[in-house]
Amino acid sequence: MTRFIESTITFPYKRSLGPVVGAFMTALTEKQILGIRCQDAVLVPPMEWDPATGAELPHEFVEVGPAGTVESWTWVGTPSIQHPLDHSFAFAFIRLDGATTPLLHAVDAGTPQAMSEGMRVAPRWRGSREGRIDDIICFVRGEAAETEGEDTGGATDPVTRMDYLASITYRNPVPEAADRATEASREHRLLGLRCPTCGRVYAGGRGLCPVDAIELGPECEVDLPHTGTITNFAIVTPVQYPGQTETEPFVRAFVLLDGTDVIIPYSVVIELPADQVKVGLRVDAVWASPAEETEEGGGMGGSWGSLLGWIPNGEPDIDDPDLVNRIF
Amino acid sequence: MSAPSTDIAVIGWAQTPMVRHTDKSETQLLMEAITDAIVPLGLTRADIDYTCLGSCDYITGQAFSFVSNLDAIGAWPPKRDSHVEMDGAWALYEAWLRLQEGDIEIAVVTGSGRSSTGDPALIYPMEMDPYFLAPLGADPLTFAALQARAVIAAGIADERSMAEVAVRARGGDVETLLAEEYLRQPLRRHDVPPITDGAAAMVLATGDRARRLVERPAYITGFDHRTECHNPSFRALDDSPSTRIAAESAGLSDAPVEVAELQAAFTHEELLLREVLGFGDEVFVNSSGGALRDNPIMATGLCRVGHAANHIFGGGSRALAHATSGPCLQQNLVCILEGRS
Repeated sequence: MTRFIESTITFPYKRSLGPVVGAFMTALTEKQILGIRCQDAVLVPPMEWDPATGAELPHEFVEVGPAGTVESWTWVGTPSIQHPLDHSFAFAFIRLDGATTPLLHAVDAGTPQAMSEGMRVAPRWRGSREGRIDDIICFVRGEAAETEGEDTGGATDPVTRMDYLASITYRNPVPEAADRATEASREHRLLGLRCPTCGRVYAGGRGLCPVDAIELGPECEVDLPHTGTITNFAIVTPVQYPGQTETEPFVRAFVLLDGTDVIIPYSVVIELPADQVKVGLRVDAVWASPAEETEEGGGMGGSWGSLLGWIPNGEPDIDDPDLVNRIF
Repeated sequence: MSAPSTDIAVIGWAQTPMVRHTDKSETQLLMEAITDAIVPLGLTRADIDYTCLGSCDYITGQAFSFVSNLDAIGAWPPKRDSHVEMDGAWALYEAWLRLQEGDIEIAVVTGSGRSSTGDPALIYPMEMDPYFLAPLGADPLTFAALQARAVIAAGIADERSMAEVAVRARGGDVETLLAEEYLRQPLRRHDVPPITDGAAAMVLATGDRARRLVERPAYITGFDHRTECHNPSFRALDDSPSTRIAAESAGLSDAPVEVAELQAAFTHEELLLREVLGFGDEVFVNSSGGALRDNPIMATGLCRVGHAANHIFGGGSRALAHATSGPCLQQNLVCILEGRS
């Protein structure tokens, strides 16, 4: 039975708005909706370029709406978490008074029977506005705009940036080879897979030979040695970004296992200051004790399981200039 | 673009089983599809001069996911490889361009996607215009419904003719389908595509090499793709000018086609595309069931070319394949395949 793992990835984007979208967003905070003149037309939402020709448009803004006419609509019976309203609503193309093109937005109409082409709608503004398209909560029937909650007024400075948090949850299958490698790590075994065609050995539960493009099953498993030599390394100075947990410079080393052609990449080096790591250093595998076992495994992550990393074993360094001359 | 001086042909293709949910990784799907495409031709991975893979990190949930997909092509010794963050039909276009340089003979292109990895209804809004559409959660069903309304208003479709498209693709009974509730008015469940996991691989060969490998290559005689403005607010949704231009450029008007495979994930899209391409009843459209039967995002378009090629392999003379990308048929690709006696 294939095991699945669920993970949520978030991308906290900070988007620059530029001179046209920025003007539109700034006006939203003042409860004004701007279009841009494009020859005889007024484009809403405004674009920097003529959609037909790509020519840059002069920044000639025109206030439109706030009321408009529904040109087309569809009914959203079950809203998603991304939708502007938590109850059923219409998405509609709304042509605001004075605009040539329709704006997509939500209409809070109660029932689909209340919707019709030609229906007049006006915005329901958020009391506290940031300069985003969802400063308009939705549109409602009628000619008069409304404001929900206490009106905190327009922005004091032009709006130049917009935050957008993209968040997606994925459910991915875990290859059986990865699970077998993790399982072996609990017994402090470093599992490899030998390709029956080319004889190359792979570690880390990869489960296939990328050279011969064949899958490698349990019959290909071999035990790998627990000693090796650092062939290359990088000292990473952590940059602070959302989700970053490292604060001090740290090492990621590549370890060539004795008597094999197997490199364990991106390895943690334990009990050695970053400035003392060097190519040719001899190291031993360090395994998590049962007390150190966590659901996530050791310091290496992924299918390395209980392998915490590598520690200098006191043997003399290997002086071989070819050591560094490899990638994997 | 019209045909290059070098003959370039589709000589084979394969697809994985198309399922709602697979336990296999995208790399495993590709390994299977590539092997199934090349083995019947007597080729090995060592014979492949160039690969171009179409896939989407946003669907896979992994940055640089195409790097692990390279494991499926046997990229050693180092190969000429490229990737498009688009449907495999655009990978095919790139391979077709590359083969025109004339220095290589065999290319493999793929399209792959595991849509079941995430929730497409939540992922696609994030790919929309980031200022005006993504913050509203503007989803593909909404855009499809608004386009369907425009196509109906233009007299190109009605709910009955849309249901008839669904019946041709997936079976069932029109009256029963029309009695169902709306999913997103005017769309009912039968008007929308399934969620499908799957991959496809296609083999291209040039000139004499193609003729030595198969009895009846499917020659690519015209190929073009065009795009429109990203925001559907600025487009006439009852038309598809990019499809029309691509088809003209690919030479559709030079001679009639017998069959067409159109990437129409929604029923009204098939009716709109037929109208724009000027197809009457004499053109057999989507005999494969099309994207309404199987919709492996990133491979759906490439499968259209594959099914059109099957028509040529089976003795047909001329077939059209269409692929699309973006909301409301934003970008459209047309490929014309011909057989020779």
